[in-house]
Amino acid sequence: MTEKPPNDETTEKREPRDAAYWASYAETLKVSGVAEGATNINVEGRRAVGPLQGFGKMWQKTYRVGLTGAETTPVEVIKTWKENYQEFWPEGNRFYAPLAGIAPGEVALISGSLPGGVKLSTGVMVLYADDESFSLMTPEGHPFSGWITFSSFEEEGNTVAQAQVLMRANDPLYEMGLRMGGHKMENEMWRETLENLATHFGVSEPVETNIVCVDPKLQWSQYRNIWHNAGIRSAIHSVTAPLRWRRNRPS
Amino acid sequence: MEDESLDSSLHILRSEYEGTREVYRKRRNEMPEAQVKMNVREAGDRASIIDVQGELTAFAEAVLMDAYSQASDGQVRAIILNFENLEYMNSSGIGLLVTLLIRINREKQRLLTYGLSEHYRSIFQITRLDDAIAIHDSEEEAVSAANSA
Repeated sequence: MTEKPPNDETTEKREPRDAAYWASYAETLKVSGVAEGATNINVEGRRAVGPLQGFGKMWQKTYRVGLTGAETTPVEVIKTWKENYQEFWPEGNRFYAPLAGIAPGEVALISGSLPGGVKLSTGVMVLYADDESFSLMTPEGHPFSGWITFSSFEEEGNTVAQAQVLMRANDPLYEMGLRMGGHKMENEMWRETLENLATHFGVSEPVETNIVCVDPKLQWSQYRNIWHNAGIRSAIHSVTAPLRWRRNRPS
Repeated sequence: MEDESLDSSLHILRSEYEGTREVYRKRRNEMPEAQVKMNVREAGDRASIIDVQGELTAFAEAVLMDAYSQASDGQVRAIILNFENLEYMNSSGIGLLVTLLIRINREKQRLLTYGLSEHYRSIFQITRLDDAIAIHDSEEEAVSAANSA
């Protein structure tokens, strides 16, 4: 235990170096444009949620691949990842990148599928983006509540690419889904994403996975999150499509 | 008999504590150098302050957890993070605060902060960390809140 260090007064006056990298605060998410094929039923007007607002156990999942032998830098890796995000995703999921690209505050729409083949329309907000990393934050109703950080750095002379998810299932139904195959699907998805990224740089290295349960407790106070469940809402949206078509067709 | 059992429990706790410190010391040596310093101070009988000076990124993990281990000695029921000299924070830094918060909650302690600039207050708001971490304007206010509950 020691004495309080003196204040560095110069830091108070300077603009923080990270100021341009963070999204600005907004009460709810706003989608700037809906690409053809995307569905914006579970993102617009929703709040972004972090790992503290979810229901399920909290997990930290880290997937990393060493780009051994590739002549590239962390900045190049992240630039490539941002520009080709959709191309590295496994088939069956679609990421509709924001028109302005992966930049702080931008919102992207996603269509994917849940265990059991349920179609899912959701999205993510770009929480943070600098030259060597970027983070996506999920909206209410997304299968998990949290953020995913993509980063690249030098380690023992090699460039490493990493995706790290800090998450809780958003509601009891998703928690059940994650336990019944959802976690496996998710792990497989990120493993494949990193493999695809490595292949882009001409590397074929195994993806290391490290999964830690940060908090085994369920947050029962958050059970009401099920109201926003994007899986349920997407299913209802699909089932009621013929009704909307009838209502909207010209008479 | 009871004394022996208490001694044995204390011994186990002490070994676990030393083991954890050793792990963090080792990891700190393996990681690229963190651009952060953390200073631990007492604030009354039940609270400790961690002065954060520099950059809060993934590389700060070992330093932060080591500071928490020092701050958490004894009867401490609240940990106060002083962010007056925080110079830089990325999303991995926010992730570190979440894992620290979970650890603190597990120990039935509370996490409070003060000294956040407008910019960092806004980041706490975006990431919804302000739902779980009490933000105070000054050290006096934070210490008073920490020692009052």
